[in-house]
Amino acid sequence: MIDRRDALAGIVAMFGATLFAPIARAASVQVAVIDTGPPSSAVFTAGQRVLVSALSDRVIPTTDTPGAIAAEVPQFIEKLLADWARPEDKQPILAGLDAIEARSRRDYKVAAADATPEQQDALLTLAMNDQLPGGADFFDKFRQLVITGYYTSEIGITQEREYLPVPGKYDGAYPYANVTKVFSS
Amino acid sequence: MAATDQFDAIVIGSGVSGGWAAKELTEKGLRVLMLDRGVMVEHGADYTYDGAPPYEIPARNMMPRPLVKSDYFIATHGYVSPSNQKFYNNDRLNPYAYDEGEKFYWIRPGAVGGKSLIWGRWSFRWGPEDFEANKRENIGGEWPIGYDDLAPWYDYVENYVGVSGSRENLPQLPDSQFQPPIPMNVAEKWVKERLEASSPGRKLIHTRLSNMTEDKPEQGRSKCQFRAQCGRGCSFGAYFSTQAVTLPAARATGLLTLRSDAVVSNLEYDPATKRVTGVRVVDANTKQAEIIPARLVFLCASAMASTQILMNSRIPGTGRSHFDNSGTLGRYVMDHIFRVDISGDIAGMTEYIEYGRRPGGVYIPRFRNVGGEEGIGFLRGYGYQGSAYRSPLPPEGFGASMKHGMRGYGPWKFGMGAFGECLPYEDNHVSLHPDKVDRFGIPQMRFNVTFRDNELKMMSDAQTEGERMLRAAGLTNVTSNRREHVPGDAIHEMGGARMGADPRQSVLNKWSQAHDAANLFVTDGAQMASISCVNPSLTFMALTARAADYAVKQLKAGAI
Repeated sequence: MIDRRDALAGIVAMFGATLFAPIARAASVQVAVIDTGPPSSAVFTAGQRVLVSALSDRVIPTTDTPGAIAAEVPQFIEKLLADWARPEDKQPILAGLDAIEARSRRDYKVAAADATPEQQDALLTLAMNDQLPGGADFFDKFRQLVITGYYTSEIGITQEREYLPVPGKYDGAYPYANVTKVFSS
Repeated sequence: MAATDQFDAIVIGSGVSGGWAAKELTEKGLRVLMLDRGVMVEHGADYTYDGAPPYEIPARNMMPRPLVKSDYFIATHGYVSPSNQKFYNNDRLNPYAYDEGEKFYWIRPGAVGGKSLIWGRWSFRWGPEDFEANKRENIGGEWPIGYDDLAPWYDYVENYVGVSGSRENLPQLPDSQFQPPIPMNVAEKWVKERLEASSPGRKLIHTRLSNMTEDKPEQGRSKCQFRAQCGRGCSFGAYFSTQAVTLPAARATGLLTLRSDAVVSNLEYDPATKRVTGVRVVDANTKQAEIIPARLVFLCASAMASTQILMNSRIPGTGRSHFDNSGTLGRYVMDHIFRVDISGDIAGMTEYIEYGRRPGGVYIPRFRNVGGEEGIGFLRGYGYQGSAYRSPLPPEGFGASMKHGMRGYGPWKFGMGAFGECLPYEDNHVSLHPDKVDRFGIPQMRFNVTFRDNELKMMSDAQTEGERMLRAAGLTNVTSNRREHVPGDAIHEMGGARMGADPRQSVLNKWSQAHDAANLFVTDGAQMASISCVNPSLTFMALTARAADYAVKQLKAGAI
């Protein structure tokens, strides 16, 4: 019987440092560790990255609590798409960003990232109402990314919401009037 | 490595059953070696994310999809996340097989403590009917024990574990030795009152949970702190795990040796004396194999893994197990059938909310085919696990209005899911794959297990009745869904080496002792001849403590 690990080891040596990650995983007997560093590869162009940041801020702006940019939501989105998502997950996001960019240049003659906040809100509204190609799909997924990134961030958990590290008790009839913020789970 | 008489007993596996075996055997004076194929996890010190806020957990506690696809494609059905990843088996490194068109989710742990670290902790006694149904209905094999045999051992383990719950005096669900129950919330009390009034004979009761509501200072354990982060490991020791409960007790005797990364491939057997003579162990890191001699073996590797070890202990040149003179080894494999969920809205009580994150919830005990009910079209029954809750308001639009609009809670909702009993079928079986082996050279397990007409009818009834009961109780917008029923998905897989009185029809006798080897005991889920509809772990604990008591008495009497 062929020892698959040995067969793979030979191929792995052939590619060296350029080895495709899934092959490296298959060749390794080590348990994969979740990579928490910067994105392993760039998902966005420089222009898209600025736009993601601007749109994140329009979805969750700074109000009486910090918004998406302070909570590093744009970095979360790129990391998630680079290393936590599968390749097909990126497509609707990239396509939506391109559609917003094209519409901004048509309507406002500027890059979407350079448009005014009011113009960016108008572009997001077009996407939300599916008046751009792939708009509603993009809006739904992009908003999910922003919300997930924000409400799992330290700012989202401890400032926008309230986190009880050790509640110590359970009260199933706690007065709602005492609740000032939503409890983070 | 091991000298011949270094250990009196070897316990294979360190989960719910293995931990109890190690505790009981060492406390009775035996020198015990406990083996586990997983990595070492020490109580507290190795609970990496215990107490960490969500933003300090890698990947915000979301499993990366590529990693799920490559390494945790089965564990993902068992709730693996970055905060508990090291407690889980890696599915790429440890494969198993099933035939085209069949499915089985073999959801396994990968650490010392086994599933006791990551279990759901719902803890119920079986009722007398559960032990009698096989015989009365002439299905599967007759249980050689009844409720009365196990009742004192339930008492014994419950008092040590700390099980919270309420006394209900239900014949189909005997009460445990309880700590006070974890409270119901205001909406659950509302549902209970109306459901019990509108559906006479049905009950909605407190969860019964191996999470404590009172401290056990003598064990160094504190009551539940309502963090609901149990699966990361709990440094308070508030829920039952090997690490928090049975391992400290076994270590306190000074008689326990615990070895992690120790993969048992098979048992060595002497046909002349009809005894197990040793355990063959492969080091998971070095792949070095050795045979460790044993006078007494407790096989507690989990239902399917114990069955695999038994099947791989073969008479040379035959492919037949030493422990399968009955021909039943690997057969009558079962799992609870679930994936029917019902939910509805509860009006009012919005002046209340929950404070604290509660484990568990509420339970609707089995009501089908109890108390002489007949003619409902299927055998046995099911129960529901549920809870009432208020969710934060969903996003509307985007921007400041969305952000501020999410600063509140929606109405109370109630949701529940059914767990149903699967009958024992001879041809629901596991076997050793003829060609495929794992990285230790052990033949892979092959699963041929399907749910049948009785289980599917039961789930249809659970869906219909669940909707009807919630509507009758006054809930609105009652909906239900039914997803694919995959054996193994409930992580209550049992059977494969069933207990029975007749050595021609069963692998184990009424003491969980192998018919074909007096010094071999199998005390995990493999021994089950039927599975009730309630969560099984408490019953494994009681059966293990009972078997250990018997084994040591037999050993001291010179009978083993």
